[in-house]
Amino acid sequence: MNGWMGKILRVDLGSGKISTERLDPKTARDYLGARGLGTKIMWDEVDPNVDPLSPENKLIFAPGPFSGTFAPSSGRYDVVTKGPLTGTIAASNSGGSFGAELKFAGWDAVILEGKAAKPTWLSIVDDVVELRDASRLWGKDVPETTEALYAEASEDSKVACIGPAGERMVLFASIMNEMQRAAGRTGVGAVMGSKNLKAIVVRGSKGVKVADKDAFVAACGEASRKIKEHPVGGTGLRLYGTNVLVNILNSIGGLPTNNFQTGHFANADMVGGETLAANQLQRPRGCFACIISCGRGTKVTNPKYKGEGEGPEYETAWGFGPDCGIDDLDAVIKANYICNELGLDTISMGGTVACAVEMFDKGIITLEDTEGLDLRSGNAEAMVEAVRLTGIGEGFGKKLALGSYRLASLYGHPEMSMTAKKQEMPAYEPRAVQGIGLNYATNNRGGCHVRGYTISPEVLGVPVKYDKDATEGKPELVAMFQNLTGAIDSSGACLFTTFGIGADDYAAMLTALTGVKYTGDDFVKCGERVWNLERLWNNRSGFTAADDAIPERLTTVPMPTGPSKGAVSHVKEMMPHYYAVRGWDAEGRPTPEKLAELELA
Amino acid sequence: MKVRYFALLREATHKREEEWTRPAPDVRTLVNDLVALYGEPFAKWVMKDGDLYGFTAILLDGKDVRGRGGLDCSLEGVAEVDIFPPLAGG
Repeated sequence: MNGWMGKILRVDLGSGKISTERLDPKTARDYLGARGLGTKIMWDEVDPNVDPLSPENKLIFAPGPFSGTFAPSSGRYDVVTKGPLTGTIAASNSGGSFGAELKFAGWDAVILEGKAAKPTWLSIVDDVVELRDASRLWGKDVPETTEALYAEASEDSKVACIGPAGERMVLFASIMNEMQRAAGRTGVGAVMGSKNLKAIVVRGSKGVKVADKDAFVAACGEASRKIKEHPVGGTGLRLYGTNVLVNILNSIGGLPTNNFQTGHFANADMVGGETLAANQLQRPRGCFACIISCGRGTKVTNPKYKGEGEGPEYETAWGFGPDCGIDDLDAVIKANYICNELGLDTISMGGTVACAVEMFDKGIITLEDTEGLDLRSGNAEAMVEAVRLTGIGEGFGKKLALGSYRLASLYGHPEMSMTAKKQEMPAYEPRAVQGIGLNYATNNRGGCHVRGYTISPEVLGVPVKYDKDATEGKPELVAMFQNLTGAIDSSGACLFTTFGIGADDYAAMLTALTGVKYTGDDFVKCGERVWNLERLWNNRSGFTAADDAIPERLTTVPMPTGPSKGAVSHVKEMMPHYYAVRGWDAEGRPTPEKLAELELA
Repeated sequence: MKVRYFALLREATHKREEEWTRPAPDVRTLVNDLVALYGEPFAKWVMKDGDLYGFTAILLDGKDVRGRGGLDCSLEGVAEVDIFPPLAGG
């Protein structure tokens, strides 16, 4: 095959059996790879009602066809499983070079099933695959584990591992590759921990075959040119990173503050990308084949929060900053470092602490509940300590490890959890930006921004400006972005390439790479197919239209302060039209006609 | 009226914000004066072919001028003008 390696690796952690399977060409053509391929495997092999933390759940690592090629910014891969935080189908996307290395070793996917009897790590060196004892690594954090495995395997290897949070099955534990890159969302690290799998170490020596080299060089060159010439893809992201969004979201009144109690934070600039660039930024960092370099290599010299690493991204800076009423960027970065070291999703961690802070401020929980942690709004030291305790499973951290929905429910106030399908929503206030709320509510993995990033047209004006306050046209916009992102995620490309290229550009590169003819519409159709298969999975596991919701606070309580004062989210009003646009019935189920159209019947 | 700058516009103006006291009945007048004051480093992120650059956000008390009149928007009664060059993230 061209573009794909043509092989899937299956590892039964319980029996130790390791086998190789052929990648079905039609599956590859229809689902591309990464998120799409992983979802198809889950659909074919796993009962949607499986306990996410049981041996019967599977954990799939999959790069896409672009991974390992010089297609611009194609360093992504996905981890697909049933998520313990949400109970939905879960796919978490990460960058770095791990996905490319899987391709170089010859694999389009690695399926992990069962549960190892003792802590284990998986070694993949091309076709030589072995399970090894990880007992001495259990309990070690991500940098310690990664360094130890570099020493044992090879410095050239790529390591994806869990930290103590994954071992303890914190419901929003991440999988970290190359120490700083996270498959963060939905708790994929907890699933890895439930299987006693500490790490995967991969090293490959192969290359990705290309169907039409001249056409691929031309298509990639054209895509690269467009990205570099685009003012945000080519300049802004490298200079300021994603955290440059803090100020514009704050200026429109859409920066969730104090656990989404309002949308404006007076000291937002103190945790924004400009402040980061002027103080803690050491250099931009990029993933495999990246021409954007949005990553932030940072250093904190403040003795209280001293450290060095990567981050924060916008969502992280917001979650540990304004959402907790905190304006100390050094503390925010320290919380980010701890999440990277212990293996925690920064968005859900920030949202869970923010929920606890609101409950603390309102007297719902006390110092007795928090075991002495003074979680009042704005207390940066307590926030950092709360993150550490969560990762190591001590004190109040044991309750924070459940995520905000289960935490707030413990104290009788689930309405204070700012989640969709029990996953913490990211850094955009649905009352201030109508489309993003609809995306949160309908997202197949719960509160998530990247799978339908309508902020781009609604706030940034890319590719064109939409009225953020309007509801008309938003169901179409949300569905279009969700479908396109489904295809991009499945291809191995970075979502940020959309700041420069569109469906036709991906199709041109994919056609030249694989030899399979794709139009732009074909490419988007792959994403729509993935989206609908995820939806079918969720419906079969018990999710209904009632779950397509965001917290009542956002649809019933007018924004109290700031430039968006008085606004509410109109998710409920937009939902029927969204279902119609999707080709779903009134209960949010794909119709037989839609399934036939997508070859899912 | 306070005018605030962000990202690359801070490098162009060497300011985070300033009090704007010159007469500025509308956004066009303000932007033209700012372009005259700060030159090409400012203009290249704000103007294109004589109009407002489509990726640039000018907010009047939090309201984006794009789709609401653009450069013709009145500044009467406006207390804060925020100007953002093209941005992205997520």
